[in-house]
Amino acid sequence: MNLDAAMLARVQFAFTVSFHIIFPTTSIGLAMFLTVVEGLWLKTRNPVYLQIYRFWLGIFAMAFGVGVVTGIVLSFEFGLGFAHFAQIAGPVIGPMIALEVLTSFFLEAGFLGIMLYGLRRVGPRLHFFATCMVALGTLLSASWILSANSWMQTPDGVAMQNGRLVVTDWLKVIVNPSWLYRLPHMLTAAYLTASFLVAGVGAFYLLRRKHTLFARKSVSIGMAFAAILIAGQVFIGDILYSTMLKHQPSKMQAAEGFWERQSQSPAPYYWVIIPDQAHQRNRVAFGIPYLGSIWLTHSLHGRVEGLKSTPRDRQPAMGMVFYGFRIMYGIAILMFAVAVASLWLRWHGGLFTTRWFLRSLVIMAPSGIVATLGGWYLAETGRQPWVIFGLLRTVDAVSPVPSGTLLSTLIAFIFVYAFLMTAFLIFVFRMIRRGPEAAPDHAEASASLKNALRLLESPTANAVLGR
Amino acid sequence: MDLPLLSAVFAAFSITMYVLLDGFDLGVGALLLLQPHEAARNHMVDSIAPTWDGNETWLIMTGVTLLAGFPLAYSILMPAFYVPLIVMLLALGLRGASFEFRPQGQRNRPSWDAVFSVGSIVAACTQGLILGGLIQGVTIRGDAFGGSVFDWLRPFPILCAGSVLFGYIVLGGCWLYLKTTEASRHFAERTLWLALPAFLMLFVSACLTAAFTQPEVRAAWKTHTASLATIVGMMALAAIVLFASIGKRSELRPLVAAVSMVGLGIAGLALLIFPDIIPFRLSLWEASASRLSHVFLLSGAVFVTPLVLAYSAFAYWVFRGKTPVKGWEA
Repeated sequence: MNLDAAMLARVQFAFTVSFHIIFPTTSIGLAMFLTVVEGLWLKTRNPVYLQIYRFWLGIFAMAFGVGVVTGIVLSFEFGLGFAHFAQIAGPVIGPMIALEVLTSFFLEAGFLGIMLYGLRRVGPRLHFFATCMVALGTLLSASWILSANSWMQTPDGVAMQNGRLVVTDWLKVIVNPSWLYRLPHMLTAAYLTASFLVAGVGAFYLLRRKHTLFARKSVSIGMAFAAILIAGQVFIGDILYSTMLKHQPSKMQAAEGFWERQSQSPAPYYWVIIPDQAHQRNRVAFGIPYLGSIWLTHSLHGRVEGLKSTPRDRQPAMGMVFYGFRIMYGIAILMFAVAVASLWLRWHGGLFTTRWFLRSLVIMAPSGIVATLGGWYLAETGRQPWVIFGLLRTVDAVSPVPSGTLLSTLIAFIFVYAFLMTAFLIFVFRMIRRGPEAAPDHAEASASLKNALRLLESPTANAVLGR
Repeated sequence: MDLPLLSAVFAAFSITMYVLLDGFDLGVGALLLLQPHEAARNHMVDSIAPTWDGNETWLIMTGVTLLAGFPLAYSILMPAFYVPLIVMLLALGLRGASFEFRPQGQRNRPSWDAVFSVGSIVAACTQGLILGGLIQGVTIRGDAFGGSVFDWLRPFPILCAGSVLFGYIVLGGCWLYLKTTEASRHFAERTLWLALPAFLMLFVSACLTAAFTQPEVRAAWKTHTASLATIVGMMALAAIVLFASIGKRSELRPLVAAVSMVGLGIAGLALLIFPDIIPFRLSLWEASASRLSHVFLLSGAVFVTPLVLAYSAFAYWVFRGKTPVKGWEA
């Protein structure tokens, strides 16, 4: 790898954006989960829902905070590392991100304070409204940023005039060919992430026979959502696959790990390869025979298109694309298996007592985050060598900043972010270990919920909640 | 209609909102370092905790408005201020994370407060450095930044860094004066007695130095003598009102005076550099994006901003009055 300015700018963006996406993925999912749980509490007044709400609100607050501060970095990084990209594409993605700030960042920020600190001051309905607005904000934010990113994947509605992009049709820019599939794909990913997190923490308590009622509800709600969502996700993913095959064949060629224009017949489904980009071949390749033909061509002997179908100067690096895809897809298969098992166990009344299942839920708790990262590596490295597919190459987009400066700031980012991640994980694990009763004060639900909270802390509630 | 001008007005509005709102946030943050009592620090942080996120969002709004409406300016300024911007982003990041992490444990709270405070101070200073760098002049070659990444490291920007820091501290002191009680209010009072003269001295010397470092500033003074003199006179009046109201009964008056003072300062600056988007180098029309980009940006700005202001005001209203000494749950 050559450490020139272009490479350093890319590594810096990749590092900061990868770190960032972990937190919004979590908080988009948790915001929706909190909305559901608070809604259930308003409807049933069952204290266990309030207990679940308070516990996850604490973790949500931290994830949201880290997401915000690492997100601010990105809105400047378009220009810090990629000034030429900003200059050419600013008129297109700029207004979209501006609308994201206006319609979603402010909405989240305005109601987050009320959600976290407010409700000695407002009634339970207004508190619920605040939670809904924060969840709506995360959804709108995802919509705008996915629209901007999808436009970079499948640009539409623009014309090149004097080396600048000019918008000719906003509707085509926003509703570009891949947005309609990538947005639900990402939202479902975020909701799956939260489902597995919630279920994983519940399973952890069930294995230790602590906080039983809290834990049962968590596992039950988490796996109910997971089962529905993963079924939807497989379906959406399949449509997205064919959309990208049409618009970005090079990405999907790299994702399947074949080099020859037409693969061997029958095509295996590769799980491990060591690609050799320079010689346009795989040094090592292991896969399941026939499965490639069956999955990708829906026949026993069909051939799959390889990366040599794309001219060399337009090829992405196969390794990153392939493994990004395999990590996402592999985890999706595991999620599907866990979801099926959960339905079976629920049917037979063993959802809360089957220890191997609970253990697998604990292991799967962070699976959504890892799968989402894998998916984004597929999307972003697969788009290379373009930053705007077919319009602007990444190497032509970089800023006139010396590579020494870029390297120093990259190191600074790594140190600060490692510090943030360490603190975040320590506090999350500590919260999980302390358990739901001891959720921190500032995450308390409300004061007008004062009575409900008092009830929650009373001996009767302890008896009801099985403490 | 002159759409680029309207977008520039929106950018100016955003940065003004940012300076006034996040100004007192950062000022309160900076003052944490001077407050040895943990209970008082909790009180200070509680006073800004429910609304800081929205305040900081105006910074993103400003940056993104530049990207959308004036991509040429954005693509020149980001590399020009690469180092202070990244340092600012890291400082804001550490500070923002401290908000969420400091309630997590008693033992490490003093360390998180130190991170919080240093982050606030560094963020304020880098913003001053950028302001100074802008006034002193950015080197442009063709349609890209043509200078060195350390051009901002000169005496004048450093003077501006001090002014901005103390300006924010004055705003923060006034905010604490309004929102807190007992010990914290006395602390705010003492702070204002020291910070206000310090700010005025730094500000006046920065203004004088500006006239020497940047000939265009002198030229602008010649063309707008009357209006600039009026603004300076009103600033002086606001400063006097502020001085006179420290320790008096009205708890709101110092904040109103400080906001007017800083707001007038921004207005004066706008008058100095108008119609440039990069001061004395690039006009807003030269840097402008094409028409449809402005149409989209401005329709968002016109229709959504009133809504944003309404619920932001509602959030402030929910947390109106004195911040409870024992926190928002008490």
